[in-house]
Amino acid sequence: MAKLSPTRQKVMQHLNIVGQLQPALHVETHAPYPDEVNNAYYKAYTRSPHDVGGEPDISIRWEEKEEEEWEHNTFITCECLAWRGVWNAEERRRRQNVDLGQTIYLGMPYYGRWLLSAARILVDKQEITLTELVNKIAEVKKRYE
Amino acid sequence: MSKSHHAEKATGIGDPQCFKGEAGPPKFKVGDKVRIKDLPDIFYTRCQMYTRGTPATVAEIVYESPAAEDEAWDNTEQVEWFYSLVFKQRDLWPEYPDAYTNDTVETELSERWLEPA
Amino acid sequence: MAEKHKPAPMVDEVSEFEILELAVRELAIEKGLFSADDHRRWSEYMETVGPLPAARLVAKAWLDPEFKKLAVSDGVKASLEVGIDWINDMPSNFGTPSDYCNLRVLEDTPKLKHVVVCTLCSCYPRPILGQSPEWYRTPNYRRRIVRWPRQVLAEFGLQLPEDVEVRVEDSNQKSRFIVLPMRPEGTDGWTEEQLTEIVTRDCLIGVAMPHPDRKADDMRPVHPAVNPVKHP
Repeated sequence: MAKLSPTRQKVMQHLNIVGQLQPALHVETHAPYPDEVNNAYYKAYTRSPHDVGGEPDISIRWEEKEEEEWEHNTFITCECLAWRGVWNAEERRRRQNVDLGQTIYLGMPYYGRWLLSAARILVDKQEITLTELVNKIAEVKKRYE
Repeated sequence: MSKSHHAEKATGIGDPQCFKGEAGPPKFKVGDKVRIKDLPDIFYTRCQMYTRGTPATVAEIVYESPAAEDEAWDNTEQVEWFYSLVFKQRDLWPEYPDAYTNDTVETELSERWLEPA
Repeated sequence: MAEKHKPAPMVDEVSEFEILELAVRELAIEKGLFSADDHRRWSEYMETVGPLPAARLVAKAWLDPEFKKLAVSDGVKASLEVGIDWINDMPSNFGTPSDYCNLRVLEDTPKLKHVVVCTLCSCYPRPILGQSPEWYRTPNYRRRIVRWPRQVLAEFGLQLPEDVEVRVEDSNQKSRFIVLPMRPEGTDGWTEEQLTEIVTRDCLIGVAMPHPDRKADDMRPVHPAVNPVKHP
């Protein structure tokens, strides 16, 4: 079998990972029939992910964190976008803490969601096209090769 | 796409100050006993699930603002009164220890979430 | 492995987060959504915020009953007296987009102890208290403090008598909160400066209480950054 190129290795690894990235009620689901989703499950799936008050959780070690430069820049970008009227903070919260969905909510870092939401608002409000975003990301990546 | 007009309305004034006077008379007053309505929570809410159906006391009438559920889509024409509400922990959580019977939670909700208890 | 003699990388490996952050900021500036100058100005504003003004507000309230009344009834007006203008300190001149302009100061009494959380996200009174700590943002803190407050407070080293009302303030809308804790014993005759020193960030959130011997919050593990913010 031919050796996979680095790109193809990454693609195959990605397909393996996302194949395991599924909603977890400790039951695998692959788009069930409607009669398999009762009202309690409907409520669970359509919940606002940010609404966590009162959920049980374990005791953890309370930690502080040193801020990454990109996290700081992300925060400033989000505030500047609101300052200059692209969105307001409540739109940001809705997109960042609910629209991204349950998996991203708990799977990605806090400022990762801020960043994804900032990227997304630019496309949704047609300030940029997705093509422009894709090309810019590729261009930035190239600088680090 | 057109920008939000918030800067025009709020510059030098602040938010929620910029919505002052737009909500009409408040429906509830300090001391009123209310219950939190369990309105549908489709797509977005800032009325925490843990408060739904629970009695509370109005502690303060805090400000006027569009409800978060509307502001989250930049719909700011309808403005509501916001209230600070105090809940008894023993009304919220069945297992809350009797020993801590005075404990409370306080949170703010817009008028649409409240009905007389 | 064949990679035993791999040459050292010329640059640090860059993360997808860093790449996307640059891409978003550059595109936003290219399209005129905000300017590079805007970004720098807001960054400079954020460098000015920290917990000292809130600490001073508490110290002032301890020393002056009239100021305490003002602080409890009008937090924004009281903030002006410690040099914080919730509306005009920042380049927008309408407050910060995320923190609004409605500070509420929560007065602790011998029978009432407040602790602040934002169960829905991590809302925090940045203009007067600075950036929120990492633990405050965690789903864990937000899940548990509102339902098991005494357990969580005990983990922070705070235990309260049974008859004290522990009130969890869930900061879920436009108000932002600081706690005005009880003035501790052993501070008679102290100056405003001396009192300010013992009102730490954790006391202002409500997970600690001021003590005459305590000028800093408890040491906690600090998760390091890969590429931390460079301070001027």
